[in-house]
Amino acid sequence: MAVLLPALPLEVFAPGVARDAAQAAGAGAPAAPFAVVTGDPQPVVLAPNRAAHAAGVRRGQRLSAALALAPAITFVVRDTAREAAALAAVATFVLRFTPHVSLVRPAALVADLAASLRLFGGFTRLAQGLADGIAARGLTARHAYAPTPLGALALARARHTAPVFDTATLWPLLAALPLAHFDADPAACELLAGSGITTYGEALALPREGLARRCGPAFVELLDRANGRVADPREPYVPPPEFSTRLPLPVPVHDTGALHFVARRALNELADWLLARGLGVLRLELVLAHERYTHVRTGIPATTVALAFGGPTRTLGHLDSVLRERLVRVELPAPVETLTLVTRATAALPARDFGFLPGDDAVPTTAPLVDRLRARLGEGSVLRVAALAEHRPERAMKSDAGAAAPVTAPATPAAASPPGAAALAAADGLTARTRLKKPAADPLPASTPSLPRPLWLLPVPAPVSALRAATLAARRGAAERIESGWWDGHDVRRDYHRVVTPNGSELWVYRTHRRGIDDGDWYVHGLFG
Amino acid sequence: MGTGFVHGNGSSAQAALAAVLANPAIWRGRDCAPEPAALATGFGALDAALPGRGWPRAALTEIVLEREGIGEVRLTLPALATLQRDAAQRKRDVVWIAPPYTPYAPALAAAGVDLARLFVVQCATPQEALWAYEQALRAAECGAAFAWLATDDARALRRLAVAAREGRTFGVLWRRPGVAARAATAALRLRLAPADGRLAVHVDKRRGGELAQPLVVDVDRAHAHRAGLAILPRTASRPAPADAPSLPFPTAPAQWAASA
Repeated sequence: MAVLLPALPLEVFAPGVARDAAQAAGAGAPAAPFAVVTGDPQPVVLAPNRAAHAAGVRRGQRLSAALALAPAITFVVRDTAREAAALAAVATFVLRFTPHVSLVRPAALVADLAASLRLFGGFTRLAQGLADGIAARGLTARHAYAPTPLGALALARARHTAPVFDTATLWPLLAALPLAHFDADPAACELLAGSGITTYGEALALPREGLARRCGPAFVELLDRANGRVADPREPYVPPPEFSTRLPLPVPVHDTGALHFVARRALNELADWLLARGLGVLRLELVLAHERYTHVRTGIPATTVALAFGGPTRTLGHLDSVLRERLVRVELPAPVETLTLVTRATAALPARDFGFLPGDDAVPTTAPLVDRLRARLGEGSVLRVAALAEHRPERAMKSDAGAAAPVTAPATPAAASPPGAAALAAADGLTARTRLKKPAADPLPASTPSLPRPLWLLPVPAPVSALRAATLAARRGAAERIESGWWDGHDVRRDYHRVVTPNGSELWVYRTHRRGIDDGDWYVHGLFG
Repeated sequence: MGTGFVHGNGSSAQAALAAVLANPAIWRGRDCAPEPAALATGFGALDAALPGRGWPRAALTEIVLEREGIGEVRLTLPALATLQRDAAQRKRDVVWIAPPYTPYAPALAAAGVDLARLFVVQCATPQEALWAYEQALRAAECGAAFAWLATDDARALRRLAVAAREGRTFGVLWRRPGVAARAATAALRLRLAPADGRLAVHVDKRRGGELAQPLVVDVDRAHAHRAGLAILPRTASRPAPADAPSLPFPTAPAQWAASA
């Protein structure tokens, strides 16, 4: 299968040039003429657009001739780097369908689809998927399908787009095609043209020894590659190890909504690249350059929008929804002229297995909800809580915005009583005496019964006034003593009680030790929610 | 009534009547709406009072309470633990939006909640909280979403109810009293009050007949689901003197307190 992008030099510019031309011609003009030209000392027209073509501008004309034909014409020098990037993006997309893709520079690629037909539901659906995908990237493409790569390429150049499935059908079609379509050596083509030999069929009918002597053995081998007599190995296309794409915007954009629309194109390329390399992205950076301002006037640096994901992902919908929520929070200091998308961290993401039964899709490994919330509300807004093996209540938990599931085992209840603690219940009303003698915070045995803990903890214990402390003292139940932390400067000696207040709430209160017991201040530390 | 017209034995008439009443189009006053995928609460008395014998899994539930600390969250924890352990379900995450205090991890872990699947969202403004709650209710991986919101906006509440229905999420909206007089968009509205060391649950609205008497639930005595987990002993509380001064109840965050 071959894909030819005949209008590539024109299409890498199409939006930007169309805008400038429309401004020059005034509103209401259907499409102003413009043309891509070579950058040589003597530039000539390389690709005129439709309006220019209608005005008589043709490929190969001098600029002066073109200007005479269409006075309003705009010229743009060809940008081969952008063409190569666009071709690579298409090749990355085609890698979704087959692992064997190779580029035919400057504006074509060939791919082996034979092994992919069944997986993608037959030839018609596969071809449709390919055509739709390339069209969605804003490129005009000519597709041709043939048993050999060179044959497909020649057919695409000859505008023969009906698929050919076997060599018996292919041969008569190839025989009529001019030799120039086969990437043959131009000197050999010229030599043969001098003898009146211009098509593939005529060249193939010549005696092979003589042909090899005059045009070189490579030329004969080329003929054999086209019809499948010898193998045609090609260098496979491998997507680059790092992803970075740069999109100049057609008009400077103030509005993040419009920016999101353009950024979708970059995300599309990113999703293709991730799929082709079997990766998922963890962190992304969107660099919004305010170029004109940076260079000339005020020196506004580029705005950088960082995106982080809970787990590696490459689903376009997921990337897009996170980007949308994140862009809402961005304030642009100046209009954006160029948008660059760079990956900062990636991780391997294996392909998802489908279930055996319909509707039995594997569980998505990522958590898009958490990512969307973080993107909109800020990194630290979504917290995960975890219990730690520690006796001091305020240190027995941590809450952080840990990104990718460091799954904490359901922790052992902190401040659990040592075995036999109940037997220590003394006459002073203590049900348990917790004394930790060594600084190690070993996980406690899970089987130890735990004393109840409140569901709500106050961030800072609230002191209780003397009057109300008397009420607390009158209503307290049995105490739990927590005495720990002398080694790290946060020494804690407290007697905890559960107290039901007159209005029905149940509080977790404690009394500190001043000199002995039962002589300290009262604090509320939590609520039994 | 009506048996006078039926000549024959009574049991066949009853069977015929039962067959007629089995028609789903027939609805009687004391019936509850069918709730095929209810989530067992873990409390027998409460299960019996709710349509489908459990929390509605795809609807919003309003729980109205005067103040925290009466065992309100413990009423829902058995259901959360069940939900998170249900391997057949894809929706197993639990999201808490704008809780009034810090949820204390050791207590949650002791109640059987899987902390790796619990997310606490803190919001700067009520609008953000509303947005986050709607997203959570609609999310494909979120099985239960709780929010402590102070909104009275009927349109916002309606939106949340629709989000819970469409996202098939067990949503709980914790509210202050004062909303009880207004029409509820939620499928279920409970009012909680402390009742001598236990929790009185008034079912103000359910999809079914009216329930005049409050249920009294001991929130520390959930059954069934916590095999292997110790049931916490409850300390006895002394009766309150009638004229005791009110205790320094900690001030709640402003947006939550502003609802009353």
